[in-house]
Amino acid sequence: MFPVDEALRYLGAAGDAGDTRRQVEGMAALLEARIAPRYVWRVFDAQTVSDGILLPGADLLLSGSLARRMLAGCRQAALLICTLGAGFDAMLRTWQARDMAGAAVLDACGSAWVETGCDRAEAELAARYPALYLTDRFSPGYGDLPLTLQDDFVLLLDGGRRLGVTVTESHLLLPMKTVTAVIGLADTPQPARIRGCAYCSLSPACALRKGGTPCAK
Amino acid sequence: MQNRKPLLLDGAMGTELQRRGARPGRLPELLNLTDPALIEDIHRDYVAAGSRVIYANTFGVNELRYAASGHTVEELVAAAIRIAKRAAGAQARVALDMGPLGAMLEPLGELTFETAYDLFAQVAEAGARAGADLIVIETMTDLYEARAALLAAKEKTSLPMYVTMSFDASGRTFTGCTPSAMARTLSGLGADAVGVNCSLGPRELLPLIREIRQNTRLPVIAKPNAGLPDPADGHYSLSAADFARDMQALAEAGAEILGGCCGTGPDYIRALGDIALPAPLDAYEPRSFLCTPTRPLPIDGVKVIGERINPTGKKRFQQALLENDLDYIVDVAVRQMDAGADILDVNVGYPGIDEKIMLPRVVKAIQAAVDLPLQIDTTDPGALEAALRVYNGKAAVNSVTGKEESLCRVLPLVKKYGAAVVGLTLDENGLPDTAEKRVAIAQKILDRALALGIPREDVWIDCLTLTVSAQQEQAQETLDAVSIVRREMGLQTLLGVSNISFGLPNRQLITQVFLARALAAGLTLPILNPNQPGIMEVVAASRVLSGEDRQSREYIARLGSAPEAAIQAPGADMTLREAILRGLKSDAARLARQELTSQSELALVEGVLIPALDAVGAEYEAGRVFLPQLLSAAQAAQAVFEVIRESLLQKGEKRVSRGKLILATVQGDIHDIGKNIVKTVLENYGYEVLDLGKDVPPERIAEAAQREGVRLVGLSALMTTTLPAMEKTVRLLRALPQPPAVCVGGAVVTPEYAAAIGADYYARDAREAAVAARKALG
Repeated sequence: MFPVDEALRYLGAAGDAGDTRRQVEGMAALLEARIAPRYVWRVFDAQTVSDGILLPGADLLLSGSLARRMLAGCRQAALLICTLGAGFDAMLRTWQARDMAGAAVLDACGSAWVETGCDRAEAELAARYPALYLTDRFSPGYGDLPLTLQDDFVLLLDGGRRLGVTVTESHLLLPMKTVTAVIGLADTPQPARIRGCAYCSLSPACALRKGGTPCAK
Repeated sequence: MQNRKPLLLDGAMGTELQRRGARPGRLPELLNLTDPALIEDIHRDYVAAGSRVIYANTFGVNELRYAASGHTVEELVAAAIRIAKRAAGAQARVALDMGPLGAMLEPLGELTFETAYDLFAQVAEAGARAGADLIVIETMTDLYEARAALLAAKEKTSLPMYVTMSFDASGRTFTGCTPSAMARTLSGLGADAVGVNCSLGPRELLPLIREIRQNTRLPVIAKPNAGLPDPADGHYSLSAADFARDMQALAEAGAEILGGCCGTGPDYIRALGDIALPAPLDAYEPRSFLCTPTRPLPIDGVKVIGERINPTGKKRFQQALLENDLDYIVDVAVRQMDAGADILDVNVGYPGIDEKIMLPRVVKAIQAAVDLPLQIDTTDPGALEAALRVYNGKAAVNSVTGKEESLCRVLPLVKKYGAAVVGLTLDENGLPDTAEKRVAIAQKILDRALALGIPREDVWIDCLTLTVSAQQEQAQETLDAVSIVRREMGLQTLLGVSNISFGLPNRQLITQVFLARALAAGLTLPILNPNQPGIMEVVAASRVLSGEDRQSREYIARLGSAPEAAIQAPGADMTLREAILRGLKSDAARLARQELTSQSELALVEGVLIPALDAVGAEYEAGRVFLPQLLSAAQAAQAVFEVIRESLLQKGEKRVSRGKLILATVQGDIHDIGKNIVKTVLENYGYEVLDLGKDVPPERIAEAAQREGVRLVGLSALMTTTLPAMEKTVRLLRALPQPPAVCVGGAVVTPEYAAAIGADYYARDAREAAVAARKALG
C-alpha cells in the first residue's frame, strides 16, 4: 500500500479528500510502477561509552546524547540505508520540466515512498531477530547525532557498490531520496522514543506542527 | 578451436584484504605504500591460481579522493603497478584499475563530465607511465562516468581498454542503464572488451551476459560476486566450487574473459581453470540502434524524429537561444516526447550563437530531463564533436553529404564516438534530379563509411524532400530513391516531410499524404512535428497496416479515447481568470490570445493575471487549496505570459517584466525543488528570475547580483549544515556597493534566524516569496 496520507502531509494537505488526494494517488501509481525502494542493512555489536554508543566491529562511534538515550540497553544496533535510486531523480527532473505541480506531488510521494522502504527493511530486520525488540528508527542529523555519520554508514554498508549511493562533501546523500538510519536491538521493550515534536530539531519552524497536523503522534 | 580456454582475471581485492585481517578503511590504496607486501601476496596468490590479468590496487585512486591524503595520484598508481608487476612476472599482464570517482556526475550530482574526464585522464596517464599493460574500467553504474573514463583512457594512452559495469537484480545499473545501451555505447566508443563485474552472483548474471553478447562483437567479461551477501554479517554465499559451476554457464552464454569480484579469492579463480569455452558464438545482432543509458532504441520499424528543436523560422526559439534560455528549449523537447517522438533532432545554428558552446550545453540540458536519443544536427564539425563528447549513449549525426570535404570531416567523428550518421544524397554537383543519381551518392557515402569501419547499419540515408509546389516531378523521384535505398541497399531512410507542402493551401493534407506514401515506399525515420496530431496519426495508422503495432494497441491507445477531449473542452463561456484559477494551461493561452485582440499586454497582466494569481494565493493561505493547485495556476499564468511574450515579439516590443531577481540554493545544498517551486511562482507574477542553480558559492551569488544590478536575491537552504553558507552569502551581498534586498527560506530556516543573519525577508513558502518580491520590487 502506498502511503498516500503521508505524502499528503508532506504537501501540507493532510487529510485532503479532493483534488490533491486524487493527484497524489495518480502520481503514486506511476511511482510505484517505476521505482522500488532498495535497502541494505547490517547488524553490529553495540557498547555504551561515555560520549555515545560504540560499534566496535565497525570502529564507529555514534556520538551524543540521542544515541545514548535511544540505544540504552541495546547489545546490538542495525545500520540501514534505503534509497529510491537515481531513477527517482531522473523522474523528478522530467516532471520539473513538464509540470511543476506534478513535480511537487512526485517529490512528496518520493519522501513517503523511501520511508516505506525503511519500514520494509525494519520488518525484515525484525523477522530475522524475532526474540529481540527494536527501538524507534533514527537518523544522522536528528538531535545531536552528527550528519557526518552518513559518510561512515555509506562506507560501512558499501552503499556505493550495493545501492549506488554516495555522500557529498557537505555530507548529504545522493540520490535525492536516500535515508540512513539506526535501529537498536534489545532484549526488552525500549521506552525511549524519537518520533514526535518533542524530539525533533525542526519543530520550532515546522508548519505541520503549527497547523496542528504533526507528522508523528 | 578445440579446448578454447577463457582468459582468467583475478578475484576480489577488497574482501580479500578484509579476510586477511586488514582494515582497508576509507583509503585502501594507501596500503600500496604502507603494506606493499600484503598487496603483493594477494596478487601472487591470484597469479598462482591461474590469473593471467591482475588488477593493480588502484580502484579508488583519483585526485578527488586522495587530494587530502598527502600522496599524489602518480605516486599511488606507480607503487600499485610496481607491486603488481613484481607479482605478475612473465605470467600475467597488469591492469590499471579505474573504479567510480566516488562523486556523482551531472545531472544526478554536481561533478561535470569534463572534470570527470580530467580526473580519469590523470590516472590513465600515470598508469601508462608506470607500465600498465592495459586499463580496466570497472564497477561503473553510471554510463556517463564509464564514457568519461573510456574517453580519457583512449585519448591519453594507447593501452587496451576493458570496461565492466555493475548491474542489480532488475537487470539495470543503479542509474538505470541497460546492458544493451552499455554494450552498444562502449563498443562504439572503442572499448576492447565489455561486460559485467560485481553486481550479483554468476547465476543472476546469465540474462545480462546474453543481452550483452547480442549487442557487441567484442569479447565479453564476467567478473561477478560470490553470490549475495548475508545482510546480518556481510558474508557472501557461494563456495568456490559452486561459483565455478555457475561460471561455466556464463561461458556457454558467450563470456570469454572470467574472474571474480566481492567475496571471491584465489580458490575461486583456481576453480575456474577447468572451464572450457564453447565454439565462438555468433549471437551479435547487427541492427540500427540509438540509445540513452536508460532507453535502448532498436530501429526495428518506423521511428519518429521530432524536428522542433531548431531555430529556423521560429522567433521565440531564436530569442531563447540568444537569451541562453535552456528551460524553453527543454520544454520544447518534453512536449515532443509527450507527443510520441522517438528521437529528437537538435539544431541550434543561428547567427550570433557559438554552436561549439551552445550545442553541448543544450544536449546536456535535454538529456537531464528527457529520456530520448538525440540526433545532433549541425554543419559545424567542432560543435558536432563537442556535442558527441557530452552525449550520454549512442547518438545520430545529422548529417554528412557526398561532398569530399564533408565526408572527410564528419565520418571520422562518427567513427570515433560510435554514432549513427545521416547521409544526405547531394554532393559537389548539388542535389541530383533522379532517384538513380541519389542512390549513387548514397552508395558512395556508405562505401566511405564502411572503409572507416562504421558499420553498415549505422549509415542512414536522407533522399531529401523538395517542395512539391515548386518542383512537382521531384516528389516521385524522392519516393523512388527511398524505395531503392530501403529495399535494395537495406539501409534506414530519413525524410523531413514538412518541406513537401510549402506554398499550398491545407498544407497538412499534402504533408500527411506524402508521409503515408513515403512510409509505404520504405521510409523508416520520418522527421516531423510530433505536436501535430494529424501527422502522428498517419504514423500510428501506418504502424497498424505494417503489422508493427501488434493488435493495434498503440493506435487504440492514441485514438480510442478521442471522446475524452470533447469532455475536457471548456464551455465557451469560461473566462481567462477561471482558466488560470483551475490551472488549465491551453485554455488560458487560447483565452489570452482572444483577450489581446481587445486590450494591451500590460493591461492583461495587471488586470487579469495578477489578480487571478492573488486569488489563488489567498485560497492557498487559507488552506483551501494546496501547493499543486497553486503551481497549476502559476503554470497556466506562465502559458499566458508565453502568449504575451510572443505577441510583443511580433510587434518588436520588449517583454513585460516587473523586475529582475536572483534565486539560488546555497553552497553545499544539492536539493533544489523548493527553489524551483518559488521560481515557477515568481516567474508567473511577471518577475524575471535569474536562476543560479544549486550548491552555489557565496562569491558567485554576490558577483552575479552586482553584475546584474538586481534589487532582490532569494536564497534557500535545506540542511542545518549549510546555514553558514547562507549567512556568508548574506554578508557578501550586504557588503556590495548597492546591496540588494535578501529573502531567505527553506526547511531549516526560521524567521528568527532570517533576522539574525540580516536578511530582509523570510519566506515560508512560494506564496510568501511572491509577497516579499512585491514588497522589494513592486
